[in-house]
Amino acid sequence: MIEEQGGKRVETIIEVKSLKKVFGNDVALEDVSFQVKRGETFGFLGPSGSGKTTTIKILTGQLSPTSGEAYVFNRSSASFKTAHFRRNFGVLTDNSGLYDRLSIYDNLKLYSGLYGVDHQRIREVLEMVNLEKEQTKVIAKLSKGMKQRVLLARAFLHEPKLLFLDEPTSALDPANAKHIHNGLKALNERGTTIFLTTHDMYEAETLCNRIAFLHRGKIQLLDQPKSLRRQFSNANMMIELKNGRELLIPTGPQSADTVYKYMVADEIISIHTDEPTLGDIFLEVTGRELV
Amino acid sequence: MNISLRRVYAIFQKDVKDMMKNLYVSTALLMPLLLAAFYGKVYEELPLEAHFLVINLTFVMIGAYVQSALIAEEKEKNTLRGLMLSPATIPEILGGKSLVTFIVTIITIVICSMLMRYEPTHLFSIAIAMIISVLFYIALGTLIGLLSKSAVEASVIMLPMFFLFGFGTFIEMIIEKYPTLAFAKYLPNIQLLEFAKNIQAGQSMNESWLPLVVIFAWAVGMSMLTVIVFRKKEMDD
Repeated sequence: MIEEQGGKRVETIIEVKSLKKVFGNDVALEDVSFQVKRGETFGFLGPSGSGKTTTIKILTGQLSPTSGEAYVFNRSSASFKTAHFRRNFGVLTDNSGLYDRLSIYDNLKLYSGLYGVDHQRIREVLEMVNLEKEQTKVIAKLSKGMKQRVLLARAFLHEPKLLFLDEPTSALDPANAKHIHNGLKALNERGTTIFLTTHDMYEAETLCNRIAFLHRGKIQLLDQPKSLRRQFSNANMMIELKNGRELLIPTGPQSADTVYKYMVADEIISIHTDEPTLGDIFLEVTGRELV
Repeated sequence: MNISLRRVYAIFQKDVKDMMKNLYVSTALLMPLLLAAFYGKVYEELPLEAHFLVINLTFVMIGAYVQSALIAEEKEKNTLRGLMLSPATIPEILGGKSLVTFIVTIITIVICSMLMRYEPTHLFSIAIAMIISVLFYIALGTLIGLLSKSAVEASVIMLPMFFLFGFGTFIEMIIEKYPTLAFAKYLPNIQLLEFAKNIQAGQSMNESWLPLVVIFAWAVGMSMLTVIVFRKKEMDD
């Protein structure tokens, strides 16, 4: 489906309408609806058990919905299992595995054969995940973080149009997480649409154009991170003074005199708006922390 | 249906490398080879039943057991899910995964036959029967692998199969004692022995077609069941 947005034609890559998934007596997803446009990095934010992985599994054909509709590349969920459809996306979920007895290179070589990708591409993706020097190492001897990076490399080995990532940096240290974030940004700039689930607010802010807060299987909020922060902002700013005091004052014109007074007296160290973090917003909306 | 040989070969190539480092496989390979070497060394001339005891044991040990362990391990380590999410189709995945087991089973049977000095009167007919038999055992192993949660569980499920298919000669003795179990003579291992006896007695393949048809029916039935189970396992519901 192609829509006009600000004079541009934007293609919808994922469309989900009133999706519901029930496991026995447990409702994992309830009336979930959203769209993801081409070129977007869309974030699903929620605590463990909120339904993030279930959504990815439905969108990749690993689960069938109880009711509702899911379309990926304009194809309904009934056709998600076809091999031809699977060529379009890459996926990294909590149930992705590697061949322990084989090397990093051999694991990726298998997938280069399955997708018909040139072996040169293996070196490129290994560079992206910072593993080019470790390619001969056997998987069994890698740390959890390194395995996660191999899985990521495998997910975007064939330069998919759409990438599903379920908590991609959960096992990584900050340096490697940043390396991966840079790689994902580069992929997104080259046109890959990314559907990302995370409970890492920094990751969501850094990577996502839009985010949805998922709680108890329902979408509570969906917007751009900036818009959400503005929406939940208390319209205050914090002034840090050289004498150690901190002033919390409204951002409106009524504060102009106060700011001017301290500025003239050269008493200000910093001024910044008092915006809530995504975690604060999630807490306010759902009453629970994002863990 | 299109089958990509490139994808089948990619899975086959991976399995060859993986198999060489797999303890399950090396242990399973040794058993029939040791038994064949023992028989070949101790006995000057072996009866057909003894030859086929080793051959059927090879089928169960490698064709079924190794295949079940390979598939179950893929499930246990979540690597089968990765293949299912790739563009590889069911025939490509199962074909690639079965090809290496097929080749290893055939090579082992050839070596065992040489060690036991088994020389069938009509090699071509016996080869056809054996190839159809391997297909049955590989399908059986795949099915057990798909139904197991781990390689260890697959080994436990395989135990009765060793008795049922590996020691057919004993089953024939049981049938003689308990005629109500006569239907067991239609098991593929017993039919294979029956076919080999007919061929050894000088019958042609045309004269002894029934055991071949029975083995073929087992192979087709088991393969169909395996594909149905594989399709079900594609989903996590």
